[in-house]
This record gives sequence, C-alpha cells and structure tokens, in this order.
Amino acid sequence: MKKTILSLAMVLAAGLLFAQKKTTTSAVINFDATTPIDALPRAENKTVIASLDTKSGTIAFEAAIKSFAFSNPKIQEHFNSKGWMDSDQFSTAIFKGSIVNLKDVKFNKDGTYAVTVSGDLTIHGVTKPAEAKGTITVAGKSVKATSDFSIKLEDYNVNGGAIAAGKVSKEPKITVVAEFQ
Amino acid sequence: MKRYKKWLIALGVVLLAGVLVIYYLFNLKYDDTATVKADFTVNAMDFIKEFKQDMAAANKKYSEKIIVVNGTVSAIEMADTTANIKMIDTTNGAYIIFAFQQQHLAEAKAMKEGEQVSIKGSCSNGAFSSILEAEYITFKRCAVNNKF
Repeated sequence: MKKTILSLAMVLAAGLLFAQKKTTTSAVINFDATTPIDALPRAENKTVIASLDTKSGTIAFEAAIKSFAFSNPKIQEHFNSKGWMDSDQFSTAIFKGSIVNLKDVKFNKDGTYAVTVSGDLTIHGVTKPAEAKGTITVAGKSVKATSDFSIKLEDYNVNGGAIAAGKVSKEPKITVVAEFQ
Repeated sequence: MKRYKKWLIALGVVLLAGVLVIYYLFNLKYDDTATVKADFTVNAMDFIKEFKQDMAAANKKYSEKIIVVNGTVSAIEMADTTANIKMIDTTNGAYIIFAFQQQHLAEAKAMKEGEQVSIKGSCSNGAFSSILEAEYITFKRCAVNNKF
C-alpha cells in the first residue's frame, strides 16, 4: 500500500515538474511604427498573456491593446481611438498557433532552437493567417520564446491619415519575448 | 502695400503659433505617476470583484484613470526588462498586474511576496483571458504610492 502511494506521488511530482503547458502573464510585445519623419509611434506592452504547450507545440498570445504604453499621451490617445485600433470595441489582439517544426526543439535539453510558428492572428476584429520565424531558448526549466516580424496594417482594416502622410509605418515591426518558468 | 504687410505679419504669427503647437504636442511626455493625483483609491480584492460583476461598467469607470491599489503582493514576475507585480484572487484566479514606469522598476524588484503594498498606476482595462480562463486587469506606468 505504502509503495503504491509512493509511486503515485512520484508520478504526480514528475508531472508537475515537467508540466506541458507553460504560461506567463508578463510576456513583452514591442510595437514600432516609426518612420523617417516621426519617431513617436513606438510602444511596449509588458503584461501580455502567453502559453506554450511543449508536447503539442501550440502557442498563444493575448495582448490588451490599452496596455501598449507610449511615451507621448497624444500618440497613445490616437492609437486607441476609433479611427485606429478602436480599443474600446476591439480590446485584445490574439494569436493562436503552433510550432511547425516542433520535432527540432528539445525542451529537455539546453540550447537555442530556430522555429517557425504558424497560426491565426486577430487584430482590430480581423483574423488572418500568420507565420513568423523565431527562436526557443531552453535553459533548465526556463523556456524563452522570441520572434520579430511585421504586419500590414491594411490587412487588419487599420487605416488613417497618419499612415497616408507617412507618419506611421504601413508595416510596423513587432517583437515578442515570452519567458516561461 | 501697408495692407499687404499686415497680412504677411498675420500669416507669420499664425504659422509660428502652428509650429509651436506641433512642437508642444510632439514633445508631450507622461508625468512621473508618483507625482500625479489619483482619481480613485481601491482595495485590490474589491476592485477585482467590481470587474467580475460588470466588466463593461468597470472599464468605463476606471480605464485610463490613475488609481491607487492597496493589496498584498501575490507574485513578482521578472524578465529581461520587466518586473511586474501581481495581486491574485486565489478563489478564482482573477488578478491585477502592474507594469512599472522605468524610473520605478527598482521599487517593483524590491517588493516581496506576501508584502502589503500600495501601488499607483494607469489602469489600462479589464478583460477575460481565454488562455487562463480568468479575468485580469492590467496597469501601466506604475509607481509605489508613498502616501500609504
């Protein structure tokens, strides 16, 4: 009886130690829509929710639009306004996808692995297929996922005079960093 | 000729005013949150409860307002450039998360789990996370509220 309980406890402990679904509520997304004539449209969101399932390779991000912090209050106001991200109506940006080359990543072995992530990206109420290159860095129990990519604002029905005037990039650069413990 | 000169001066004044307004708008910066007067002071668990009861009404009331939140530190999430403080309602997993202003990052890093703190910041909004299946409320540009 004692042996059975001990075995069960060990199985449970191992399960917890190597939990497949890792989450964080402090992933960081940087948004850079600066142009040669305007260096202000740049923001950072440090409270992004992210999950990574190391067994299935599914990966997801959820970013509250109003959590993107700009240095300039006027730009912040424009970013959230109806003509732009309309954050009162479309409060979050969501990515749901998976690692295409999961077999190349050894989550039980320290190292840096190049990955391709593919899935659906929803911004401004519009969902489009998206694919991006990134890296997964494994260091002990810590897994760090990073990716740099750009999006076309017009794909997500984000238009405005500032884009036409060249003050905001038509294809902002997005940088994602998520550290899972 | 005199009338022409007057128009020219008026045009110059208007152009100068326009340039000054644009310069002012481009150089606007957020104040240090520690020095900004708070719109509301709340208790963390009551605040979460208010969002859970009516998310839309709470967002309308608190979004983009400066709020002082008093509560207990449940977790400190540190990453490369981040030190976020969390206050979690352990009965349902709902939480408040505070991202600090760069000049106040050290204050967040010095906090301890279980510590009673008072944090002032700009409430972004509350939402339901389909990943965590729980409500969350995010804050940006936070600082320790010294008037605790």
